[in-house]
Amino acid sequence: MSRLAFVVLAFPSFALAQQKVIEISGANFRPMPLAVAAPMTQDDAAKKVAAEFDSALVYDFSACGLFQVLERKGYLADAKEGVTAGSIAFNRWSDVGAEALVKTQLSTEGDTIRADLRLFAVGAGREELKVSEVAPAKNLRRLAHKLANAVYRFYTRETGPFETRIAWSRKSQQGRDVYVADWDGKNAQRITSDSVNVLPALLPGGVAFTSYRQKKPFLFVSRGGGEPTLLLAKGAMVTGAAFSHDGKRLAVSVSEGENAEIFVANADGSDAKKVTDTKFFLNTSPTWSPDGKKLAFVSNRAGNPQIYVMGADGLGVKRLTFQGNYNTTPAWSPRGDVIAFTARDERNAFDLFTVNVDSGKIVRLTQDAANNEEPAFSPSGRLILFTSTRTGARQLHVMTVDGNNQLALPVDKGDYATPDWAE
Amino acid sequence: MSAQAAHSLLRPRPSGLGPFLVLSIAGHVLLTAGALGLSWAFAGPPIDLEQKPIKASLVRLGKPRDEKLLPRKEPEPPPAPPKPAEVAVQAPAPPSSAVKIPSKDAKPEKAPDLKKSLFDAFSKASKPAELEGAADGDPLGDSAVQEGERYHGLLQAVVKRNYDVSDTIPEAERRTLRAQVSMRIDAHGEVLDVRLAKASGNDLFDAAVLAAVKKASPFAPPPPHLADELKRDGVSFVFTP
Repeated sequence: MSRLAFVVLAFPSFALAQQKVIEISGANFRPMPLAVAAPMTQDDAAKKVAAEFDSALVYDFSACGLFQVLERKGYLADAKEGVTAGSIAFNRWSDVGAEALVKTQLSTEGDTIRADLRLFAVGAGREELKVSEVAPAKNLRRLAHKLANAVYRFYTRETGPFETRIAWSRKSQQGRDVYVADWDGKNAQRITSDSVNVLPALLPGGVAFTSYRQKKPFLFVSRGGGEPTLLLAKGAMVTGAAFSHDGKRLAVSVSEGENAEIFVANADGSDAKKVTDTKFFLNTSPTWSPDGKKLAFVSNRAGNPQIYVMGADGLGVKRLTFQGNYNTTPAWSPRGDVIAFTARDERNAFDLFTVNVDSGKIVRLTQDAANNEEPAFSPSGRLILFTSTRTGARQLHVMTVDGNNQLALPVDKGDYATPDWAE
Repeated sequence: MSAQAAHSLLRPRPSGLGPFLVLSIAGHVLLTAGALGLSWAFAGPPIDLEQKPIKASLVRLGKPRDEKLLPRKEPEPPPAPPKPAEVAVQAPAPPSSAVKIPSKDAKPEKAPDLKKSLFDAFSKASKPAELEGAADGDPLGDSAVQEGERYHGLLQAVVKRNYDVSDTIPEAERRTLRAQVSMRIDAHGEVLDVRLAKASGNDLFDAAVLAAVKKASPFAPPPPHLADELKRDGVSFVFTP
């Protein structure tokens, strides 16, 4: 003891040189403040298409959930500022709160458009990324999606959602039609043009849907936008098609009388096997776990619709939701951890929730914004596409998996329903 | 004396009233003196009538939500009202050598009120206790402020409040990120220098942790016993997501 006291007294600097260390964790993760300068155009033809290109690029960055795109009105930099690091007054961009800056240039070469994008780190005042893409003029928005993807990949090392496909059914004069479009709802291709066609499910190179085109509502598939062909006809009605993530298997709900059971078949509709068997009850809306080993579905076997999970062979059925008395349309996250679903709450509003597959914990995603229904996960599992009546008509909206950044897709008003999302 | 006279009511008889009265009076005097002595011995601090009253209000907690109902999002607290702009007009300080001239109606200076100084000391010491607890902390546990060095707890809390990290950092990378920032501060809490002592390898994360410390400054002045150490050796922050 006396020796220790001697050391401390004789060499006080030894004791004092120890710098106090404070541990800090639990960061507040938030979208990165990003400034997207208006595109610079090098000729008149480029000037004509700049607005469309710009809207696609800004929507991509705004809707993907990673960035907070700063209002262009507040920018302080000179509108004619250059596109190289040496010509940019970075302090003016940092003054508006930007941490990153995107600058683009457009030029035309015959029928093609060339776009150059540069990404700058505002704090460091340096260029981080330079990408150039050339595309036919008709693919202008896809050109913007490619460039947005390059920025997304630069930061996350993941492929962004910008070049994925979505599908929906929309009310038409004849009934309902199925559409397939880019992730922002643009470049929509109408797959059907008669009868009632609902519940689209995307598969590689095509889309399957329930159609009344042959009187009874059976499952049809359209490949490459071609004429729909019958995929599965069983019982009185085939609904809620869902393809496993490897694209090899198909789960559907087959109705007969007042009973509906889940069937699992090969992706071409062959070898359909019944995996639920509950007489007098409904089992609908199957959705696959990412590994293809389990299915979640809706059943009213307990008296009201609730979300259940079971093995893909029908064994090990387990009820997952115990809160609320009307839980429907489950969508299993591609990350596997949660299932998103629609629920009617005690105020009779339909809203979106997630339930943790392991713990059963339910988290609300939407609230006090009219009715929000029918979730569909992006292929990465970061985003959810859904329908909402908050603007009056039933529109498509997108948000992050935790319910933040809810944005309407830039499409015309209409009655959109049952969206799906795939690579 | 005849037997008749011995039974007369007018005949004086011996009485114990006198000693009883004397004893009773002495007892009451002693009791009163004792009570006064005790009340003097255990007297509380003098009541400061100028002290503002402490207002307490009872809040009735709402009925807990039925567990069978779906959860609702908590409404976000309304933003704090903007503080009115304070126009600080400071009177020029008198030279330290100036001798105070008592005004006509000046009262003689009171001896320092021990109770008041103690109260002030407690109120100062209680400031860091107003900091938010950790979200994952034990609700019944002691605050970090009490457990560790109070001032270091304060530094940790204010830096953490500014610890904003970009969502763009890949989730796989978040598990391994670790950066260290060293800083020195002066006796007023102003940052003398701040630097990235150990980089994480991710530029965005490194910039975020440096920004967290810079945005949190200036800090509250350190207590005298830490001022020298913080100026000479500084303090390190180790950041993990």
